Amino acid sequence: MLHRRVYQFLIIYCLGILFLLLLKYSLGLSNYVIPSPLNLRTTFSEVVSRYFSDVLDTLSVAIIGQFLSIFVAFLIGILARKTTWFGSFVKVAAYNFQAYPIVALAPIIFILLGDGFLSRLLIAAMICYFPLLLSVLGIMSEPIEDIEHFYRTTGRMRWQLAIKIRAFENLNKLTTVISGSATLAMAGTIVAEFIAANTGIGYSIRIALYQSDLSKILVALFLIGITLSVYQGILEWAGIVAKKAWAAS
Amino acid sequence: MKTEKISSKKFVVLALLVFCFFFSAGSTHAAGDRLNYRLKWLFNASVAGDLYADVHGIFKSEGIAVTVKAGGPERDAIKELELGHAQFGVASADQVIRARDKGAPVVVIAQLFQINPLQWIYRSAAMSVDSLQDLRGKTLGITYGGNDETIMRTLLAKGGITEDDVNLFSVRYDYTPFYQNKVDLWPVYRNSQGIFISQKLQDAGEDVGFLIPSKFGVKFVANSVVTSERMLQENPDLVKRFLNALLLAWEEAMNPDNEQKTITTIAEFDKDSSPELIEQQLSITRMLIKPRKDLVIGTIDAAAWKQTEAIMLKQGQITAPVAIENFLKPGGQP
Repeated sequence: MLHRRVYQFLIIYCLGILFLLLLKYSLGLSNYVIPSPLNLRTTFSEVVSRYFSDVLDTLSVAIIGQFLSIFVAFLIGILARKTTWFGSFVKVAAYNFQAYPIVALAPIIFILLGDGFLSRLLIAAMICYFPLLLSVLGIMSEPIEDIEHFYRTTGRMRWQLAIKIRAFENLNKLTTVISGSATLAMAGTIVAEFIAANTGIGYSIRIALYQSDLSKILVALFLIGITLSVYQGILEWAGIVAKKAWAAS
Repeated sequence: MKTEKISSKKFVVLALLVFCFFFSAGSTHAAGDRLNYRLKWLFNASVAGDLYADVHGIFKSEGIAVTVKAGGPERDAIKELELGHAQFGVASADQVIRARDKGAPVVVIAQLFQINPLQWIYRSAAMSVDSLQDLRGKTLGITYGGNDETIMRTLLAKGGITEDDVNLFSVRYDYTPFYQNKVDLWPVYRNSQGIFISQKLQDAGEDVGFLIPSKFGVKFVANSVVTSERMLQENPDLVKRFLNALLLAWEEAMNPDNEQKTITTIAEFDKDSSPELIEQQLSITRMLIKPRKDLVIGTIDAAAWKQTEAIMLKQGQITAPVAIENFLKPGGQP
């Protein structure tokens, strides 16, 4: 699973580069617009170690942000699963909050929290929590009738049990959503770094953009893609292990 | 089978569209002789002459139709010239030199700003910068990767000041650290942010001063008009007509007698700035574009361009000398 994700990413990345090179050579564009393979190789060897450490820095924030958003999404999803006034209020608040573009909220966040770790974390969590919330809401508000009926008729049903049943029966769906949300957490962290941070790959991309250096950006994209593929592969694997362990217990 | 046929047709149409896109790029003329002119930044007082040429029909009087397009952080006029999306554009010297270093066929036909608007603001009660030595021990704001980093590093090197002698502070669009006195010198565009930051501090009873790099011999060239080598070779007459119109419009827009007309022109595009603010911006822009009455707008300061190249070479921003003087074509001379 892990290696499949990695080679699939490599195929996509190589196709993208090939398309750019096709464009470059068919239009006779200079290295300023699209770098040559030699440029790419030189830039890669120059920046790879620094950029890789930047990507790991970004990934570490993204992972914490993602776990924070999973926690928040589950909390809201569980609170809002019932069709009560409070449930609907929580849902409306969560949906409205998501409607504000993050770039508009970012300056407020940076003024309140500065341009360090906390701002990056919060923005990453804010960007990736919504799809998680939608899935959790969908799963938690949909009863698994076959199983839940038994507990209800025997009078043993409690809300914690209902949540466990629904989570277990939809574990594949949840794993897919959690794995997918890693991409959003990473994107969120990069956006935060791009807007205001002094570290991370988003910050490095911003500097490369200032210098119109597409080769650096392509190297950054490669490292982001490969790292994210590995992380998502690990999440999927962890989902399978969790399901097996849960089923066995 | 039917679905497959439809899909194949769609694929062929898509391929044709991509093909057309490829081969529409790179032409020196826009469709119907309409030229695209890509600015470096958004519409405001610093592009007064460009807007003036458009609104007051000066391009038209030269028999050319020009679409003036706003720039922005994600826009790069030089790339658009190569891709054929624009025929003329505005770029700073570092962009041009970097592009030449990577083989982009770009030439400079006029230099708009004679003094770089990028300067540093400071509280004049707390300090003054009469010599570069005054920077020692100060916290200096710079945008890592930006022009201001290059200029500040050059100033420091010129003053024999090392990084250990100062504190470099990474700057963002949020000016709070400067307002909070955490940073002594903050980089601003003199004719935009410079005005409203000064205003805010003056409202709070604080006077400001500006560190002007050119006063210390660092002439890092800012906005200049560029086109492609091919355009200059194939359509020298068109380049001349464009430039004549543009520079005439700049002269008119910078003429104090036309101030009200110019303010009205800018206000049509810059809805967020009050006429009073535009007036202040215009007055400073005039100082930067035409610092002397006898100076002809558009004059290319070749020595400043060579100095900019030397700075970039020294700081490793280009791999080898590009001999930028060979690509300065004042007046659009081929």
